[in-house]
Amino acid sequence: METQMFEKAFGAMDESESPIIVPKNNAKPIIEFRGVSKTYATGTHALNDVNIQIHPGEFVFVVGASGAGKSTFMKLIMREEKANAGEVIVNGYNLTELPRKQVPMLRRTMGIVFQDFRLIPTMDVFDNVAFAMHVVGEKPNVIRREVAKALSQVGLGHKARSKPAELSGGEQQRVGLARALINKPTLLIADEPTGNVDPNMSYEIVEMLSRINKAGTTVLMVTHEHNLVRDFHHRVIMLEGGKIVADNAEGTI
Amino acid sequence: MKIQSIKYLTREGFRNVWVNRLMSVASVGVLVACMVLIGFAILLTQNVNVYMSNLEQQNVVMVYFNDENSVIYQNASKLTTTDTSSDKSSSSSSSSSSSSNSSKNTSSGSEDEAPKIPESAYLIHNEEEAKAVCAEIEKIGNVESVEFISKEDALKNAKETSLSDMAGAFEILDEEGGNPMSHGARVTLKSMEIFEHTIKDIEKTEGVHTVVSHAELAKTIADIKSGISMICFWIIGILGIIALVIVSNTIRVTMYNRKLEISIMKAVGATDAFIRLPFVIEGIVLGLVSAILSEGILYFCYRVAADSMGDSFTLSVPFGSAALLLFGIFAAIGVVAGALGSMFMISKYLKKEGSEFKAL
Repeated sequence: METQMFEKAFGAMDESESPIIVPKNNAKPIIEFRGVSKTYATGTHALNDVNIQIHPGEFVFVVGASGAGKSTFMKLIMREEKANAGEVIVNGYNLTELPRKQVPMLRRTMGIVFQDFRLIPTMDVFDNVAFAMHVVGEKPNVIRREVAKALSQVGLGHKARSKPAELSGGEQQRVGLARALINKPTLLIADEPTGNVDPNMSYEIVEMLSRINKAGTTVLMVTHEHNLVRDFHHRVIMLEGGKIVADNAEGTI
Repeated sequence: MKIQSIKYLTREGFRNVWVNRLMSVASVGVLVACMVLIGFAILLTQNVNVYMSNLEQQNVVMVYFNDENSVIYQNASKLTTTDTSSDKSSSSSSSSSSSSNSSKNTSSGSEDEAPKIPESAYLIHNEEEAKAVCAEIEKIGNVESVEFISKEDALKNAKETSLSDMAGAFEILDEEGGNPMSHGARVTLKSMEIFEHTIKDIEKTEGVHTVVSHAELAKTIADIKSGISMICFWIIGILGIIALVIVSNTIRVTMYNRKLEISIMKAVGATDAFIRLPFVIEGIVLGLVSAILSEGILYFCYRVAADSMGDSFTLSVPFGSAALLLFGIFAAIGVVAGALGSMFMISKYLKKEGSEFKAL
């Protein structure tokens, strides 16, 4: 059903077309899934023999219905879950073998934007962004300079001392984006970043992500909003029943 | 961990105390309640111990020496042994107790049968010999002091303290055959713990005829002391466990309320130590604040209690002498409960990932 909706939105998938990866360049993949399967303790088969490569500099939309395996796909990349079978390699880390102590190091190589923003309510905007820099042990003067710059870039320089609760959904998401980018990650993971913002702000956020992508950061974005996928011509991976059922380089299938 | 990270996290720990002030007040309240109760139990134990020690110090045993009167005035002893309420009178009563029993006698304040003196027994003939026996008794380890009481003083005391008819009897005996009393000594013991052992040592001393002690009282004091100490030990132990359980629960609630914060920290690549440190510092700060408040409350309550007590009963331990010990105990409880509680409770959350936090 989701496939039909997807085809209706983005065009029919040619039967002869297999879901293959279209590398933008010859560099080593920044994300690689090799025969990855994930079954939860409850017996739910979330992913089944997934093979995929995402290369540095790509912007990839991940789409699919609820229960298709999108969340598990993202959790495996963030190493919130471990695969039962196969290998997941992210930013050079083999997550199948990665010891728990090394997980924070992996996460410092990526920025994560959440649907529910995940800002610390007791900290103001500045401290929420600065927090990510404190984690990596950055010096206070560098933190002050970089956070101010990042907040200006997302248009929130004037709200540095506001608490998250005083901001709109769109503004909160921009704070989340500033925090995700403050340590200059090579990979940005956005888990439905437009889910809690109005349509205009959704476009603004994806435009912002596209600009970030053009600057060299790999962006992986999960979304339900087909119009965004249609309007921003990026690679689209579609999941259904724990399998990749579509993978197209330019947003059309 | 880098120095600037430690500085930042320490600052965060202090900031969190204020930011989460409602939970901070709850935690401090719980800790203070437990600490104050523990403090009361400690002060009660100390006061009881001092009070009992004072009673112990007041406890003396009377020792009477072998002399010719120990043999002659056996009947007189029977006449006077009923009056044992004061040490003086028991001195006179026992000094006159004599019979021809072969063994030395230990009396619990009212001896019915005076012992016989064996012919081979060492008899005291004069004051010098009696004082020499006193010196021997003084050498016994648990003996605090020995006060010699001559037979003349004993008779004088007996006349002064006995009832009128008894005093008359002493007068008659005195007129008929001289002073009926024996030389004796008032022996003060150091500790009641080895009371019976010390009495036996005194009895073994050459020249000692009778030892009159309040063995029952001594045993009662020792029993009360050890009983109260045991009760207070259990009170402190149980309250300590209750404190830890309540503090753990408070920390659990704090952690639950801040699980979002912990999940965000993990998502941006914070290490376990980085996440844990502010919580531990927060726990230590709350523990120390609780210790200071508890000390203050206890001081206030102790003063009120001391002021409200009549002259008949006073608190023996001045608060100042217990203050440092109490603060040390409170600080230890606060720091251990706060730091270890935070450290252990957060471990549960450190093992969780992303969406697992929502399920908690």
